This record gives sequence, C-alpha cells and structure tokens, in this order.
Amino acid sequence: MFDSILIANRGEIACRVIRTARNLGLRAIAVYHHEDRHAPHVALADVAVELTADVPTAGYLDISQLLDIAQAQGAQCIHPGYGFLSENARFAEAVEKAGLAFVGPQSEVIRLMGDKIHSREFAVRAGVPVSPSVTQDGDLEVFVEQAAKIGFPLLIKAAAGGGGKGMSIVRSIDELAARARTAMGEAERYFADGRVYAERYIERPRHIEVQVMGDGQGKVVHLYERECSVQRRFQKIIEESPAPDLAADLRDRICTAAVELAASANYRNAGTVEFILAPDGEFYFLEMNTRLQVEHPVTEMVCGVDLVEAQLRVAAGLGLPWTQEQIRQRGHAIECRICCEEPEHDFRPATGVAQLLRVPEGEGVRFDGGIRQGQAITAAFDSMIGKLVCYGANRAAAIDGIVRALDEFVLLGVSNNIDYLGAVLRHPVFRAGHLHTGFVVEHAADLVAPALDETDRAALLIAAALGVRDFRRLVYDTPEPYASIGAWRN
Amino acid sequence: MALEYIFNLDGTDHGVSIAARNPELVLTVDGVAHQVRESSALNDECALLTVDGRSYQVWRTWESNRIHLRIGNRSFSIGYEDAITAAQHHAGGDDTLRADMPGVVVGINAKVGASVVTGDVLIVIESMKMQINIVAPRDGTVEAVYVDINQTFDKGAQLISLHAES
Repeated sequence: MFDSILIANRGEIACRVIRTARNLGLRAIAVYHHEDRHAPHVALADVAVELTADVPTAGYLDISQLLDIAQAQGAQCIHPGYGFLSENARFAEAVEKAGLAFVGPQSEVIRLMGDKIHSREFAVRAGVPVSPSVTQDGDLEVFVEQAAKIGFPLLIKAAAGGGGKGMSIVRSIDELAARARTAMGEAERYFADGRVYAERYIERPRHIEVQVMGDGQGKVVHLYERECSVQRRFQKIIEESPAPDLAADLRDRICTAAVELAASANYRNAGTVEFILAPDGEFYFLEMNTRLQVEHPVTEMVCGVDLVEAQLRVAAGLGLPWTQEQIRQRGHAIECRICCEEPEHDFRPATGVAQLLRVPEGEGVRFDGGIRQGQAITAAFDSMIGKLVCYGANRAAAIDGIVRALDEFVLLGVSNNIDYLGAVLRHPVFRAGHLHTGFVVEHAADLVAPALDETDRAALLIAAALGVRDFRRLVYDTPEPYASIGAWRN
Repeated sequence: MALEYIFNLDGTDHGVSIAARNPELVLTVDGVAHQVRESSALNDECALLTVDGRSYQVWRTWESNRIHLRIGNRSFSIGYEDAITAAQHHAGGDDTLRADMPGVVVGINAKVGASVVTGDVLIVIESMKMQINIVAPRDGTVEAVYVDINQTFDKGAQLISLHAES
C-alpha cells in the first residue's frame, strides 16, 4: 500500500477520500484555492498546499501545479475525486509519467469512455444493448434526415458531454435542425467539441447504473445497481440501492452487461456503467463514468464495503479486495444531495453563509459533508455541499430514516433543497417506488411547500420577532417570569 | 405597547406587536392575539416556542435585515427592516442591473459611454449551466460596467448601469 496520497479535489469528496486514506495510515496531502482556505478538507488533511489561480476552479484543474505539489510533498499517488480532472486522460497520463500512481483507470480507457460516440460503438462491440442513434459529423442536413428516421421523440446529446449540457429533447422534425444547431453550439462552447448525436428518447425511463470495480488485469466485479431516476435539470438528486421493484433476472442481466463492458475494456478502478431502463423492461447503455461516483455511499452501505479503499488497493497493485461471490447487497440505502439552491425558482443556485449548521445523527445515518458552519457558499464552485445517506433494513425503513434525518438537518443562512428533498421522499408515489426520470416534473405541483395554516404562520412570525433584539428587549425587559431567559442572544 | 414590527414573508408584510406581557405573554400578528410561551432553550440557537398551545422547536440565526429560521421542520428566511433601512432601500433608482442569481460573466458587449436601445444584449452570464442575456431595459447610455469577463458574482451583485434618464 502507498504511504502518502494527494487529493486533487475539494469539498465533501476530498474529505471522504482523506478519511479512508487516514484509516489506512496514508499521509493525506490536500490542495486548496485561497477561497477554500477555511474549508474542512484543508483542516482534515495532514498537509494542505495552496494552489495559485485567479479563478478558483482553475486551481483544481492546473495539472502542472498539482504535479509539482505532489512531487514536492512526496505523494505516491493522486486521487482525483469526481469532477475537475477525474475524467481527464491527459491528467492520468501526466500523473503516471511523473512516476506516481493515478487512482483511476488507464488513460486510454478514460479517453474511450469519455467520448460518448466511441463508447457507444465500443458497447455495441461488447454486446451491450445500445439504443438506436445517429451521429452528426459534418453535414447537418444528412444528420437531420437520418435522425428523423429513428423516429420522435429524439434526444440530442453532446459527444463529449455530461451533466445535461448540450442536451435537448426534440419532439418533431420541425424543430430538429434548430435544436441540433443549438446543441452543437453548446457542445462547442463547453467541451470544445461540437459533435452531437441523436438517440431515441425513451418516455418515462428509469436511470439504473451499476457499480463495477476492475483490477486492470482482466478481473471485474459488480457491486449491484443504483436507482438514480429522481433528477432535476438532468442531474441526480436522490439515489438508492437496490432499485425498487426490479425483477431479479433483469437486475442480473443489467449487472452482467456492465461487467462485460468493463471487462472488455480491461477496466481498472471503480467505475459506473449507466443504463436507461424503458418501461417495457428493455435497457440501453447510456455511458460509463470512469471514476468514483457522487452516489457511491449507497453502494458502500448496502454492500458493506469501502470503495475508496478498494480503489487504493487496486491502484497499488494489490488486486480486488473481494470476489463476486463475496459481494452481497443487504438492506436498503438512500442518498440525498444537499444543494444550495432555490427549488421554488427552478433550482437556481443560491449563495450565502452557512450561519447555522447542525447535521443529523442517528442509527444508519451518514453525512458526507464538505462545509463547516460560518463558511460562505459562493458561485465559484458547485452548489452541492454534501450528501445525506441513510441505511435501513428495507426501503420503507430507509425512507423513514432519511425523512427524519432531513427534518433534523439545520442549514440556515443560505437557501437549500433540504425541505424539497423531504417533500419528494414523503410523496406517496416515491414511497411506492414508481420512479422515472421525469418524476420531479410530473409531481411538481405536489412538491411545492404547502401554505402555512394561521397558527403556524403566526408562530413563524412570532419566532422571527423574538429573534429581533429590540423586540426581544421589549418583551423581556421586565423582571419575573421572563428574566431567566432574557439573556438569550442579547 | 402598540409598537408594531414589520416582517416580510414571501413578499407580504406582517405586523407583530406586544399586547400583554403579564400574566401571560400575548403577541398580536396582523391584529390577531396569540398566547406565547418561549421556554427551555436547548442551546443558543434553539428554543421551544408554544403558540396557542401548539409547540415548535425553533432554530434561529440572522444577518443584517434577515432572520433565518427552522420551525416545524421547515426553513424560512424572513425580511425585517427598520424604518431607516426601508427608506434607504426604496430611494434607489432602477438604472443599475443586478444579478438575479449567482453566476459567471461569459461575455461583455457593452462599453462605457455606448448608446444602447431596449433589448440590446449588454452582458452574457452563465448560471445553472445556461447562458443568460442581460439586456437593456430601456434606451440609454452605459454609465458603468462593474464586472469583468470570467468574473463570478453573487445574487444581487451590480452588473452594469445606465445613465439616469434626463
């Protein structure tokens, strides 16, 4: 095993990786931009080195600076987390060229899977189901003609894309050319790669993904599936494992397809093979993420494993920690992504200061967080500040547990989605397990916070008034019976 | 004791005042009296509040003119303005364009001193992975541009201003 590691990331995932590294006795080296100087990952690491960059995110993307720090600090390996450089083949190459281990896959596999078009072709060759599609590689008219043949509705996506960028649903031929042109423009801007492709859009699909782990020596195991159908703006907000009401044979076929794909690529590291599951039970390869996934904790909880530890073992050449037979899926785990945003305003990101932060506790509750009380949430980074995960003996128990934990979660000073997540998890259709990727749009009206009744509204305004110093003084500026509590915050 | 404090909840003003302190605390909200008991604060930020016999756990913090609360397992942010701040707030003109949401500047078309007409794209910002055009709300002349390309900004930040109308 290594004795030191540099974590090329920030926020909750940097904290997550540092914790396992320290469990294993590794010296953890963190990096941070000035704006993050008070962030928890800086305090949690054994060493923290400041990155120099005008734009905060640029620091975490600066390959040569990261390598200089890694070498100066004597790091033996680099963990990229997710986002930033985690799926950057040039970074993986540069790390290995510098004589360090990259805690991730081989650079050529990153490159292959990072290209949506090549990865789909690869999946077809590996015998994994892929939905009918056409690629735009030059002539827009030809593309429009071929795409129309697949039939509507169509989904247009960027070849180099991810995270919903350059993505659009087209319902008729009239709008196809214009939408394709917009998607190409967005793809060019975001990914410097204007290629797009169109595939059949499946109505009411479920997003099912499979956690795999490969040793790069031909051995690949799966750690079962995750259901990630509850999404807003094409981004997941609630994930769980196992997927509710998934027939055992279908689960087996999906997991087997994922292993076959990863094995064909001689995959090394933790990876996720994403599928779209149609209401008729057909499933199609979507993409493979060649990194640790945001929602990996649900898999860790139901399988009783530490995926970061497994990543480190594999990167150190120690092989997979388990055989397929040793991996068991037990109970149920659900994760909620805690984001600073305004659900009532189309989830636009919110900034502010986390003035009061109280994280829930209790049996089966895990919070992977990356902020501390008093920290400013700025527009410089992603709006997700942590993940709340809850384990239960079954799905109902996991839902009950996470609903209770969300109720207990206090994050004041910056708008967030905690109460919105609670509304989703309480929704009877969610509880019944009838999920598809359009869930939050379909049930939008039910997910709006209900109006307060008169007493609740009065209580809220009274609670607010009693928080105003002058008003408080008027109320309590008298001897008994109020003097005993009159010192509250005055 | 008729002094009324004004709180803004979701765009609506509500008045809270003290009706009686003894033998029981009675506060009025929009003219309606409520029996209030606040007791056994769990710690600095958390109190137990009883209004008309209904009990609430209240988490509370504040900044300048906002109070943030979690009550009944829901979080709220309530505006509070004293008379002086309220007056200042409403004295400002509307010639300055501010950001509705945090984001990053990806394009600046406007130059100081340039004439613009209604609908001209002055600045392009990116927020929520979308590009949003900030357009001129009226004809006029650009007075100042407060941001640079690639600069991030918070909600409410000044982006650009037009000369006051003559």
